[in-house]
Amino acid sequence: MIRIRKSVIIVFILCIALILSAFFAKEFNFYSFDMMPYDYKMTFNNNKTSDISSVWFSYGDDREVIFNSNSDITDNIKFYEKTEESVNLKTYKEMTEIAENSIGYYIAAAPVQKFDYNNDGIDENVYDYTRADFGPHTFELAPRNFNVDNILFETAFEERKYIKVFFKNEILRNRTVNIISKDGDFKEYNTDENGFIKGLPSKVLRQGFTAVYSEGNNVYRIQYAIEDYDYFSSHFYKAFIPLLYVLFFSALGIMAIYFIREIYNRNKYGNIFAKKNKDFNFERYGKTYYSKFTIIRFLFLLFGFVMWTYLGKLISQGQTLNNIAIPVFSCPFNLDQTFESSCYYLTHLTILFTRNWKYIVSFLITLFIMLIFGGRILCGFMCPLGFVQDIVFKIRKTLHIKSIVLNDRANRLIQFIKWIWIILFIGFVFTGNDFCDICPNKVFSPALGGWWVNLALAGFLEVSLLVGSFYIDRFWCLMCPMGYILGIFYKYNIFKLKKDCTACTECGGCYEACSMRLKNIYTEREKENVQCVDCIMCGKCIEKCPENNALSLTLFGKTIYSSSRESFIKKYNKTRSDKSDR
Amino acid sequence: MTDDFDEHRKELFRNKSRRIALSYLKKAENINGMFNEMKSFFNVLKNIFVDFEDIKRKKEAKLIGSYCAMVPEELIYAAKGQPVRMCSGSYTAYSIGDEYAPRDACPLVKSVMGFNNINTMPMYDNCSLLIVPVSCDCKKKIAGLLMKNKNVFILSMPPSKTDDYYMNEFIKQLYKLIPVIEEETGNEITEKSLFEAIQLTGYAQYELSRFNSLKRKAPLLFNGSQVMSVMNAYAYMNAGEWGEQLKKLNDEAEKYLKNKEFSAKENYPRILITGSPIVFPNIKIPLLIEETGSHLTADETCMGERSLYDPAIIIENSFDSMLRGIANRYIKPCTCPVFGNNTQRIFKIKQMIKDYGIQGVIYHVLRGCLVYDYEYQLIENELSKINIPVIRVESDYSEEDTEQIRIRLEAFTEIIKMRNLKKAGRE
Repeated sequence: MIRIRKSVIIVFILCIALILSAFFAKEFNFYSFDMMPYDYKMTFNNNKTSDISSVWFSYGDDREVIFNSNSDITDNIKFYEKTEESVNLKTYKEMTEIAENSIGYYIAAAPVQKFDYNNDGIDENVYDYTRADFGPHTFELAPRNFNVDNILFETAFEERKYIKVFFKNEILRNRTVNIISKDGDFKEYNTDENGFIKGLPSKVLRQGFTAVYSEGNNVYRIQYAIEDYDYFSSHFYKAFIPLLYVLFFSALGIMAIYFIREIYNRNKYGNIFAKKNKDFNFERYGKTYYSKFTIIRFLFLLFGFVMWTYLGKLISQGQTLNNIAIPVFSCPFNLDQTFESSCYYLTHLTILFTRNWKYIVSFLITLFIMLIFGGRILCGFMCPLGFVQDIVFKIRKTLHIKSIVLNDRANRLIQFIKWIWIILFIGFVFTGNDFCDICPNKVFSPALGGWWVNLALAGFLEVSLLVGSFYIDRFWCLMCPMGYILGIFYKYNIFKLKKDCTACTECGGCYEACSMRLKNIYTEREKENVQCVDCIMCGKCIEKCPENNALSLTLFGKTIYSSSRESFIKKYNKTRSDKSDR
Repeated sequence: MTDDFDEHRKELFRNKSRRIALSYLKKAENINGMFNEMKSFFNVLKNIFVDFEDIKRKKEAKLIGSYCAMVPEELIYAAKGQPVRMCSGSYTAYSIGDEYAPRDACPLVKSVMGFNNINTMPMYDNCSLLIVPVSCDCKKKIAGLLMKNKNVFILSMPPSKTDDYYMNEFIKQLYKLIPVIEEETGNEITEKSLFEAIQLTGYAQYELSRFNSLKRKAPLLFNGSQVMSVMNAYAYMNAGEWGEQLKKLNDEAEKYLKNKEFSAKENYPRILITGSPIVFPNIKIPLLIEETGSHLTADETCMGERSLYDPAIIIENSFDSMLRGIANRYIKPCTCPVFGNNTQRIFKIKQMIKDYGIQGVIYHVLRGCLVYDYEYQLIENELSKINIPVIRVESDYSEEDTEQIRIRLEAFTEIIKMRNLKKAGRE
């Protein structure tokens, strides 16, 4: 008779639920930013500056796109609003109301003016446009241009960092376009065969610029601003809302699990278990010890988190680093990433192959260099999501709440879920879906960076991730598809975890400490190399190993960190830890 | 089943066991290279086995007996109790216990039975709770016999160390043990007290680590039988006090090391003893090793290094995690042959051979101790591969076989010396 365990059924149901819900990811609305008029106030103002009248799109209090004009033409300005299906034509008075299915792109078109634009004595026909992309930050595959007959010259932000130029609703290829930044800097750019302007500094891009194209006696100008914000503005803080929702629901989930476990354990282990593990406290016994390695690792993780959240805006405005893709789980919805994360193109292979061959080759080369030589050391040292999980786990530790220690059977079952994630990660694009809809890392990085991102199923998954990683160390890493891909070439990694099997006493400390619940480090008695696909090289096993040189982390075969009894047992020296006892 | 022994017989028992204990203590003390700081360890043994005193402890601390190295002492310390290792090596008690235990039972069990019936040792009488791990068949049976007069908790051992299921079952058992200890001592085991208990034994482990690194020095600083006595004293002392005392000993030994005053010559054969427990006063084999001109450098027995060497690994400061750490400390690194798959013992012995520079291994088997006897062949085979001679020494709790063992050990020492000469000649 085949006996099917309860836990197998639960995992099976979870897997099915994950797959099914992934296909309807957009239907689970977790949080979406309002498109209400008061958020996107569009006003017409003659008194913005004293000498010229202007039109600007106002966006709350701190953001605006100004449309300059030399004469009083405001009544003749035509406004276009892009909705999900079509483009609406509006007057400025109608602009205070926003269509329900608006996606937040607006263009204002001024009537043709005749004046001497370039001071050559002849009057030119000047066509003026202003474009602003408001609204939550999304990456849709559809083109962003309006494609309206009256808009002769148009720019659109595409592929997350380039400007595509349209002229008379056709792509403008191999022409010179002048770009004037908000600061007044003037520079000439050439569009390439696909109509892209490349190499535009992201600072110019974000702050808004004016693109000028002249053909014969006609001059076409467009002012364009994609979503930009300043740190610590109201727009910046508003981006925190989904994060706060996630944190709130996570806290609820954590509490729910806390009480469920108490009841469950009381039934299973008796009252004594619940009694002993009941009260949580902030008490600190003795001295807390951190090895140098742990501190360095934490600093690396912190740096990684900051780097993938903020540093792009501060250091790499020129986007030079932005062409390098590193395979970690950081969200590309945050455009301030210092490096790109490979996850976006790995899950959107169709987009990757629309790029030019140079980009594809450089992407693949960096990816494989990282895969082969770096491996999962990136998980333990760089991954922003890993940092978040470590912080959440640390909070539980300081509260003295009992963790969930996965036994080997539970660990085997989690492998099933991992494979589901891997299949979704690679194969989801082929069914015409977007992995970003179900990616649970869509919350932290964009929200903290100030990017407005609507959350669907991803929000729910993030909540479960946080609840899970509160009780289970590196809960997501146990089933991370990116991490598995990183680990495939572990044999060639420059970092290796090694074990001196003769020195091991099989005390099980490494197994108990392991974030990934790897048993082979504990049971191995022959091979020297104990690294495997799942090892993230966090060094916890080495820290908790009481035997001299039993476990060590090597770089190019040289030991950089190894276990020692002295550093382990030092914690127990009374004079160092607890003087009050004596 | 307690037979009431008359006073006369009790007096005879006291005299006899006093004489044996004293003679072994003297022998061990009189070996060259006795350290001043070792005396207090010897005094502890003397107080118990010669003067028949109770175990020195705080007034309110209850005495809780354990019958194996696998009983978590930390739990007892956390409830402000005083653990004491009940395994006995008394020859006199053995002859009395012979009446209560079957012929083929091991002498350790017989000795325990003897003490529990004659009521002369205050240590045995004052124990209010006994924790008996079912580590071998004999232990299982004595648990049943002891139950008649004492409060006994039976701690069953996991059959496999690597399977999480069995380890979790063992942890569940510890959860059941906690209220039993609490009831006995009247003190609650809290997260904090458990942490402090781990710190307490941890301190002893810290000093033991220092002690071990001193033991590894060549030529030797310590005499093996004196080291065995020091380790034996741990069973009857508070872990903290033992640690303090060992600290003094370590400091003294470091001074000797600085002055290069060693207790042994460099070319003496270095011997490792492994196998059945060597419990005071049954330290005749360590003494014989020293008398035959070898040096007992290390031991792999449960009254020696094994019971204390492995520290509790605390991953985090929650109660459950600490308890897991304690459970792991007592089960996973334990090289006791009661576990089915015990290959780790071979690795452990090999590692000790490397660390201590061992030249020969003495495999000690108490008569009737089957689990250790099973593993002899395996270890002999493995050690012959690395060219280390092994000798199996079977002994009983009596002085009759002393001369016989002496002859065999002398021969063994000669073999090692010859090997060393050959090696030197070749070089």
